[in-house]
Amino acid sequence: MKRILLACSSGMSTSLLVSKMKDAAKEKGIEAEIWAVAQDKAQTDMERADVLLIGPQMRFLKKKLAVAAETVGIPLDVIDPVAYGRIDGLAVLNKALELIENNK
Amino acid sequence: MNKFMEVLENILLPIAEKLNNNRYLAALRDGFMVALPLIIFGSIFVVIANFPFLDKWISPEAYTAYQNALGPASAATLSIMGLFVIMGIGYKLTQHYGLEAIYGAVVGVASFLILNPQELGEVTGVIPTAILGAQGMFLGIFTAFLSAELYRFFVKKNWTIKMPPGVPDSVSRSFSALIPITLTLTIFLIIRILFSFTPFDTVQNFIYTIIQEPLTALGSSLPATIVVVLLIQLFWFFGLHGQIIMNSVLDPIWYALNDQNFSAFQAGTELPNVVTKQFMDTFLVGMGGTGMTLGVVILIFLIGKSRQTKELGKLGGPAGIFNVNEPIIFGLPIIMNPLVLIPWLLAPVVVTVITYLTMSAGIVPKPAGIIVPWTTPIGISGFLATGNDWRGAALQIFNLLVVMAIWWPFLKVLDKNYYETEKQG
Repeated sequence: MKRILLACSSGMSTSLLVSKMKDAAKEKGIEAEIWAVAQDKAQTDMERADVLLIGPQMRFLKKKLAVAAETVGIPLDVIDPVAYGRIDGLAVLNKALELIENNK
Repeated sequence: MNKFMEVLENILLPIAEKLNNNRYLAALRDGFMVALPLIIFGSIFVVIANFPFLDKWISPEAYTAYQNALGPASAATLSIMGLFVIMGIGYKLTQHYGLEAIYGAVVGVASFLILNPQELGEVTGVIPTAILGAQGMFLGIFTAFLSAELYRFFVKKNWTIKMPPGVPDSVSRSFSALIPITLTLTIFLIIRILFSFTPFDTVQNFIYTIIQEPLTALGSSLPATIVVVLLIQLFWFFGLHGQIIMNSVLDPIWYALNDQNFSAFQAGTELPNVVTKQFMDTFLVGMGGTGMTLGVVILIFLIGKSRQTKELGKLGGPAGIFNVNEPIIFGLPIIMNPLVLIPWLLAPVVVTVITYLTMSAGIVPKPAGIIVPWTTPIGISGFLATGNDWRGAALQIFNLLVVMAIWWPFLKVLDKNYYETEKQG
């Protein structure tokens, strides 16, 4: 079970991506829990996630959240703007899985 | 050009970081978030109370009774939103410090009430609701910050009453808050007494005259609004969330202006402000998202030839109706794309000017202080925000056409570029 957390300003635009990522996960036959939150909830939700992805428009959060992510012991990254614009669920899912894999 | 963009990004990113991650601004933003559901609840009942044409269908007495029956909904929420913002700020800031947050909330409210008059004319033993709304907004915010800081300071000093082991946790916790709260509130009481010897009489009066009035006057002006709009667009051009960054600074001003309009709307007098929270949310963001990209989506459907823009229109269109437009911003792309920089900056400024002038001239009613969620589709949001007036919707549609006209030549060039590349490749 992979748990992937996405964060943006209000969790709205990333939730578009979430549904595409879920589709991609189903197609790949991967069991995954994927959800999006607003920035103020990112810190608490991080505790039950394997990876945190930040919307590119909120990339200024990275520094702040990196500290918290390190304590929880999960990797984080900013979503590639091109994949974000295309709502490319597969590309972002692959990136998330890669981050989880490298963290082991 | 690339070099120049890099330099600009290196300036903007740290600004975004500072503004978004500053603990006071973050507490302020989250504080407003706490108040928002209540504000929207109140707004819904204002809309229902002012149902269009109802005053013509039923007798004046019945209409008054109907409005009076629904009045408490907004009087208990929207009109006194400052109270909830103070609670939210006090809570969030104290939580940030890792202390028991609820004490931060109550100490903020109590400090604020201590600073305020507890009389209205001849009547004593009352708290005037006016100070809990727009008038007290700035004082409330400063009080919430200061009281949370003082509370934290005194807790850290550890002058708490230590309970012997074996005393239940919740009992010892209620005592541990006693000394910090007592000291914090005493300081506010002293501040109140000291101010009564000044010509300002109350702290509220002091903050209002020295800070709030000049700032809101500045914030409601057209030039300042254009600057803010340009900054939001510029941040977004670099793929940074412009609203989140600017709102954390400007929300107090916009909400204060909003509440002034709401009081006037409820009283049936002339609305004082054009620029309010709703001016930004409904007449700028509410046009398909930041930069009014609903016009761009429609243009894509009308003149788009390339596969790339057509795909994007299908992908980003539905979300755009609800003013979520990250797919368009990142997908067209708008970020770092010199081809669209001119319409990206120009269209919102032109719409700001049109909206400001038509509202100032009275051709379109000013925002009535009703908070419409920013995800409300175009047309509906303009109607609701102006207090159920069709001219609010008409202005949005007119502005949409203006946005499309500005974007038309630029999108055509961009689309042609994509089309040529696709044909070759």
